[in-house]
Amino acid sequence: MTRRPPSLDPRHPGRLLRLRGAMDRTFTGLASGSILLIALALLVVLAPMLWRGATAVVFKGTVEFRRMQLEQFHRGDLKDLDAEMAEVTRARQPVYDMLDRFSRGIATDDLEEEGRRLYREFGKQLDRRDTPPGERIELRSLAKQLRDDFTEAVESTDKAAALGALGRVLKHADDPRLTGTVAEGFFRMARNYGHIVETVDLGRRAEYAKALGEVRDAIQVLFGPRPGEPRPPLVMDQYGATRWDMAEKQLARLLTAETWVEVQPGQPLQRAQVPREREFAGTNLAPLFPLMREHAADMLRPQTTLYWQYFLDDSLSGHYFGGVGPEILGTLLVTVLAIALALPLGVISAAYLVECAGDGRAVRLIRTCINTLAGVPSIVFGLFGLAFFVIYLLPKFGLPQGSSVLAGGLALGLLVLPIIIRASEEAIRSVPLTYKEAALALGVSRLRCFVTVTLPAALPGILTGVILSVSRAAGETAPILFTAAVVTGATSWPLWEAVAKPAKTLAYGSYHLAVGDRLAALVPHNQYGMVMTLILLVLILNIAAILVRSRMAKRLRGQ
Amino acid sequence: MVEPGDLPAEMPQTAEVPDKTVRAPAPTLFAAASPRPLGGEPFIRSRHFSLFYGQKVGVKQITMDIHPKSVTAIIGPSGCGKSTFLRSINRMNDLIPHVRAEGRLEVAGIDVNDRRVNLPNLRQQVGMVFQKPNPFPKSIYDNVAYGRRFQGFRHRGELDEAVERCLRAAALWDEVKDNLHKSALALSGGQQQRLCIARALTTQPKVLLMDEPCSALDPIATGRIEELIADLKSAYTIVIVTHNMQQAARVSDRTAFFCLGELIEYDWTSVIFTKPAKKQTEDYVTGRFG
Repeated sequence: MTRRPPSLDPRHPGRLLRLRGAMDRTFTGLASGSILLIALALLVVLAPMLWRGATAVVFKGTVEFRRMQLEQFHRGDLKDLDAEMAEVTRARQPVYDMLDRFSRGIATDDLEEEGRRLYREFGKQLDRRDTPPGERIELRSLAKQLRDDFTEAVESTDKAAALGALGRVLKHADDPRLTGTVAEGFFRMARNYGHIVETVDLGRRAEYAKALGEVRDAIQVLFGPRPGEPRPPLVMDQYGATRWDMAEKQLARLLTAETWVEVQPGQPLQRAQVPREREFAGTNLAPLFPLMREHAADMLRPQTTLYWQYFLDDSLSGHYFGGVGPEILGTLLVTVLAIALALPLGVISAAYLVECAGDGRAVRLIRTCINTLAGVPSIVFGLFGLAFFVIYLLPKFGLPQGSSVLAGGLALGLLVLPIIIRASEEAIRSVPLTYKEAALALGVSRLRCFVTVTLPAALPGILTGVILSVSRAAGETAPILFTAAVVTGATSWPLWEAVAKPAKTLAYGSYHLAVGDRLAALVPHNQYGMVMTLILLVLILNIAAILVRSRMAKRLRGQ
Repeated sequence: MVEPGDLPAEMPQTAEVPDKTVRAPAPTLFAAASPRPLGGEPFIRSRHFSLFYGQKVGVKQITMDIHPKSVTAIIGPSGCGKSTFLRSINRMNDLIPHVRAEGRLEVAGIDVNDRRVNLPNLRQQVGMVFQKPNPFPKSIYDNVAYGRRFQGFRHRGELDEAVERCLRAAALWDEVKDNLHKSALALSGGQQQRLCIARALTTQPKVLLMDEPCSALDPIATGRIEELIADLKSAYTIVIVTHNMQQAARVSDRTAFFCLGELIEYDWTSVIFTKPAKKQTEDYVTGRFG
């Protein structure tokens, strides 16, 4: 069989050449396609993170936000806020008024309680007045009668029965013995309730009561505690919706009720949205909802806010308010410590492997070990750090047994050590032999040659390892899970004291918000904000290292 | 072993082009074994020196004398051990694993392969210039000052003075004096090589080994380096390995011809290029072989 030589005429390429051309194109396509895919994947993963995370910093802050900032972080102007609060309070007043008016007919427990209180007060009044015993007994039984009638009216779900009971109460309104006593309260209440009975469908009172509770809760979340009420102990309860996006969510909860309706018999119930306006149709609460819809902005006054202090502030109420300052500091501390521990060790090991060690069996074993170390799951480093540094080693040096930044830095340092060793080894190996020869020929000792010539020339490559390590160390959660991270507590000052204590970190904070904290659902922006901060932090550290490296490389190239 | 006292005393001390009547050619069976004296007291003396890379022979049984304040060229085909021998003089071969030396190689009367030899001292005495210009990726000033700095000279004025002296000696001062702090890598190839020579001079060596210093340079740069070698001859003992026979003829006083790790012939340059004693040498220098 003879093989035709490949054609050299470009106009008539032989089969072989055509095949080769096709393969070339395929590989080029595959390569550029995969690069594009990676870039796209990065974009798809990172862009929403950054976008959503940005809402932690740039958002529409309400007046509640400004109040919180002033009271908790002492930021802003008290006079301006007072003026603003006055206007807001005025805008909110109709809402509270309407709620009060409506709840008088619905929240019957309050009325019953009020009736019982009046009866007790009346008894005490009788005792103080030295009423003759016979009259006292008579009046007492009358008051008891009034109370029972009123309670019956309030509890009754039938309009006629309620009105009848109220009539029995009001029959005694002109009794001269009762004028000027607390018992007059019964008649006032009965008259008020009479108006309510006229307007409200008593049969649906239980339903109203439940819906009213929801409305009240929503209003509470929106506006915070009512002026005049005692201050709740939890900081997160002291303020209303601080962010307009959260306020809008609450507003939706306020304006529409969620119910389960049976669409078809025997089928699962389906969720349905019912406007509250329809739910409360015909009652004196119905105007509340258009009011809220139209004027919510007046009651909360959203303003576009750049909350740059997010990166400095401590968090309050478990990240309900505030920023990620301690997390950033803790992450930086742990990362810098890890690099500071791993870099000298890694460079010295790499120098030994390249310059001193030959190619013996032991050296090959060491190399294998380093490569294996690079593949060990990070949780193993965390557990090792717990067992060795936290429990065994650091207490020997007088540190309290327990997680600390130092232990976390050590565990992370171990984690990034193989990365640094491998990068440094490559960098040192790739320094041209001529540099070394030149130095040695001048009579320089090997150590001096390494320090003054090889190391500076290898620094850009070593920095590449540092860049990789920083990204790894800043983002790792598992090694610091047991060794350094906590959820609460600010990073203490000065730094050398902070090193002996645990710290909050961004990676662990994100993890904890995601799995452990019921608040996370309420503050998704904070969760994304923390992730965004981590990405930005790593990005900034990397860019700084890359700039330093390119400057060094430029100098080494002689530009 | 030939002792210094064995050398004829009437031989000329300086390296001048010899009068052929003074020095009668004395053919010997083993030219290398008992070197024909080509001058007075040698500075570098090799006696039956061999170097092995593991089992491979680098050079074998080299016996030759290199004289002070003169230029000795080593020529020969590739792989003949010229560079190996040159690098043995300041023990740069130590960088290669499994190197073993036999015989005796003396610099100023001291066996360089002696275990007690202070290697940094030896290398400071025996400077080296490499085939490819290899300045450090530092500024011109730092390159030249490097050799002084590690010797413990840190005083600024002293360093400045040494840098200027060495750059002047390497005929580079006028070209670079205005931008001493520019990177050495920005210089041209010829300038870089002269910078390397200047750097080698900073340790104040007695010997300058040059391993094909012009092979990476253009003819003009080569010419300048050759001029420089002629200038430096008055103060240094120069050994130059070269592939370029014209260059060897131009710059050197004595020439050694190596082949396959052996020293074939060593004589005054004029003799090697005009009337070599051996057929092999003649073939090589006339271009019939190699």
